[in-house]
Amino acid sequence: MSAERVLHSVTCLGCGCGCDDLTVRVRGGRIAGLAPPCPLAQRWFGDGTVPQAISIAGRPATLGHAIEAAVSVLRTANRPMVIIAPDLTTEAQRTAIAVADVLRAEADGATSDSAAAGILAAQRRGRAAATLGEIRNRADVVLFWAVDPTARYPRYLERYAAAASATHADRRALLAVSVGEDRGPAGAEIEADFAPDEEVDALAVMLATVRGRPLGEVAPPFQRAVALAERLLRGRYVAIVHDAEEAGPAGGDGQRTESLVALAQALNGPTRAALSSLRAGGNRSGAEAALTWQTGYPMRVSFRDGSPRSRPGRSGLDRLSAGGADAVLIAGSAGALADLGPVPGRVPSVVVGPGASRVSGAGVAIDTGVAGIHEAGTGYRMDDVPLPLTAVVEGVRTAVETLSLLLGALRVPPRGSDG
Amino acid sequence: MGEGARLRLVGGTLHDPANGVDGEERDVCIADGRIVASLPAGAPTLDARGMVVMPGGVDIHAHFASSSCNHARRLIPDEHAADPAPAPALSEGESRSGSGGTVPSTFTTGYRYAGLGYTTAFDAAVAPLLARHSHAELDDTPCVDGGIFALMGNDEYLLRQIERGERDRARDYAAWLLGAVGAYAVKIVNPGGVEAWKTGQRNVTGLDDEVSGRQVTPRAILETLTDAANRLGLPHPVHIHCNNLGVAGNAATTLASMETLASRRAHFTHLQFHCYGGEPGKGWSSAAAPVIEYVNAHPEVSVDVGQVMFGPAMTITADAPVEYLLHKSSGRRWTNIDIELESGCGIVPLAYKEKAAVSALQWAVGLELFLLSQDPWRVVLSTDHPNGGSFLSYPALIQLLMDRAVRDDRLAQLNPRFLAGSALADGLAREYTLNEIAIVTRAGPARLLGLRDKGHLGVGADADVTVYSRDPDIAKMFSTPRYVVKGGTLIVEEGQLRRAPAGKRLRLAPGYDDAIVRDLRKHFEAYSTVSFDNYPVRGLRDAPVGIP
Repeated sequence: MSAERVLHSVTCLGCGCGCDDLTVRVRGGRIAGLAPPCPLAQRWFGDGTVPQAISIAGRPATLGHAIEAAVSVLRTANRPMVIIAPDLTTEAQRTAIAVADVLRAEADGATSDSAAAGILAAQRRGRAAATLGEIRNRADVVLFWAVDPTARYPRYLERYAAAASATHADRRALLAVSVGEDRGPAGAEIEADFAPDEEVDALAVMLATVRGRPLGEVAPPFQRAVALAERLLRGRYVAIVHDAEEAGPAGGDGQRTESLVALAQALNGPTRAALSSLRAGGNRSGAEAALTWQTGYPMRVSFRDGSPRSRPGRSGLDRLSAGGADAVLIAGSAGALADLGPVPGRVPSVVVGPGASRVSGAGVAIDTGVAGIHEAGTGYRMDDVPLPLTAVVEGVRTAVETLSLLLGALRVPPRGSDG
Repeated sequence: MGEGARLRLVGGTLHDPANGVDGEERDVCIADGRIVASLPAGAPTLDARGMVVMPGGVDIHAHFASSSCNHARRLIPDEHAADPAPAPALSEGESRSGSGGTVPSTFTTGYRYAGLGYTTAFDAAVAPLLARHSHAELDDTPCVDGGIFALMGNDEYLLRQIERGERDRARDYAAWLLGAVGAYAVKIVNPGGVEAWKTGQRNVTGLDDEVSGRQVTPRAILETLTDAANRLGLPHPVHIHCNNLGVAGNAATTLASMETLASRRAHFTHLQFHCYGGEPGKGWSSAAAPVIEYVNAHPEVSVDVGQVMFGPAMTITADAPVEYLLHKSSGRRWTNIDIELESGCGIVPLAYKEKAAVSALQWAVGLELFLLSQDPWRVVLSTDHPNGGSFLSYPALIQLLMDRAVRDDRLAQLNPRFLAGSALADGLAREYTLNEIAIVTRAGPARLLGLRDKGHLGVGADADVTVYSRDPDIAKMFSTPRYVVKGGTLIVEEGQLRRAPAGKRLRLAPGYDDAIVRDLRKHFEAYSTVSFDNYPVRGLRDAPVGIP
């Protein structure tokens, strides 16, 4: 019977909360227990087993041959694409971006569709935000806008918005807005309900109230918006919490996000405020951070002209589905790319990441471990705070090493070239 | 020529003020990344005859590798699109593409520093919580040795220690923090003011204001951290961004801060932004003269100027309340990030225009500080990149200092009404010499940073060398060095970047009383969202710099 290892202060990427206080028990190369209990952490870590296959056109291959085949697929493409999934360490994501640079490919995070509204709103306006610890320690009024974190961000309340100990907030008021089926948490001090087609107008009313603009007669559905805004104005430090990953009725076209960004900024005149944008699992913020520091752009980048250019509009995945690439490198888990559908079967594809060998139609598939389970490095919390990741289960091939091998091979000039 | 190779730079005119060499024709010999006394005959040579040879440039204060910079990059896709940066064609090694603008991408930042002949640079404001991010950016910033300054002075734990009179514990905390996050110096930004911004108080305005209702004042913060840095024997003294940045009449606060720390070693940064007369709401004037007179008379004080250059800029600072006011007064985009229990971050893109009264005065104030200073070893050239302008504008600034005719031409284009109280308007005739430029751009900052192996070309120094072709156009001369050697590697040849080695990380690990660790762990467990064990940045390249 193999000895049990107990690891403390382990970071979880099961959602964007980035809880780094987990204790993980590992026995016989498998995860045998997690504490504290969290359903998303349980799902993220599983038992720690992952496939460790390598294949070319579905047939087993050596790593060397697979790298050679990957180079062949990617180098012969005229319009290659690199998709960066969130279950990689930032170190691996940086390497994937380097691959895109060498290939003069397009590069995008796998989550740019869901993140675009917030990113573009911040580009147009800037934003007022805070790391989660500021919300924990200072927020005396917390407004949940069309989100109840309990299901998708199970420990957000316990660790941040309603944490028991705080340096500056001895009492908190929780406010909840529901928009159609996007429900806020129950039991709040003020609960307001807006129909989806009322949402943007309600936010406009709140913004006007915060700015002290005369409103005239306010129609009944929006009187709650005035009351909400007045309550926010009585706060010393206001946190507005929204789900940046969920495209609701108004979220889909960015109006909700843009309005919330504006509201949080405006509140900083009469009081202090921050917008807390909830991000889903994996290292999404890390991919955007690395793309930004290496290229200047957080998403949808093309290296085709020899230097990074922004390709706003459609996401990489969308363009890939529409035939916008003639080869693709998927860096990270294909499981994170649920929207990809049958693309790997139609476009020559290289998949390097957890579960790569399970992708139907992948030309080259190299399984690796998962960031923070099998691979140490850095992962970013939803608030852009970088955290160390632990290799809880050891002995699994890492994505960063595999992508580095691929990068090195791509940098070797092809035989017969002048280079 | 790669690292470890030998090279003799032959016959250049050497400006090595740290070794008393002012324009003498000498060879510079390099082996194994260091300056050596001599090389055997037959060692490779590079003809530097007729050229100007200086140590590599040292940027004591810039913002180029931080989470704040990354937030700023997101605000300016238009600037990046207008300034694409293809991967340079190197003769050895790999290069990367990127984008420029006021906040370039990381690889491009490294290449552009090298292209200016700068080989060392520090990011001067990093929130400790986000230091891991800065080190990742530095890993992707080639060609320059560098490091980070850790923000302190608005951090909850420190304020509690000051409130309790626990000066020794505050010192231990500073030591622990520097080592934990791999930083090189202690940076104070608007002491107490950033914490006040997070509360109803919103800012502090005087050195004796209470901070958010605590028994803590900006004065106590300044004294505590200055004494901590000096008692720890840090190579660079505490690096201070004073209260009231950018506010009319703030020179009084600046002078009061200096007087508070009288006889104590301290560095006051981007001094230009802290030298204004007048009164808030009633107009501005220059108060450069009294401040630089104080500096001239007090050898324990050093400064960098933070010159404003006309053109686009990006204001990035931990002084978040200032950025809010700038946003309100300019109507420009504004990002604010409150950073838990430590610091803040404010960002507003900006442009300095000749026709704008405040910009013109700021331009004049910076030049006054340079031209009225009496000891170039304590007055460093900086633009607070990218706050006062890009580091790419250093050559134009050098030209303003060295060429009075160019300076007077620019001055004549300004409305004289904007220059209230400025000695520049009365005509300052001084022109910097090449040796003074060598001091304010490399020898001086290296000395102030305690980098004994940098900023000079004596035997044993790091072989960081810049060779300029003479040109009557000073800006052109300094913007396109003919050769740059970095750690013994020839990285720029004939004005072209040819190699791009990784830079060294410069960081400290001062000693402290272990009792601080137990106390900090308790504090983290009570209030932090990051586990104490996960807070330190581990696995950094290069060993800490020794503290004598």
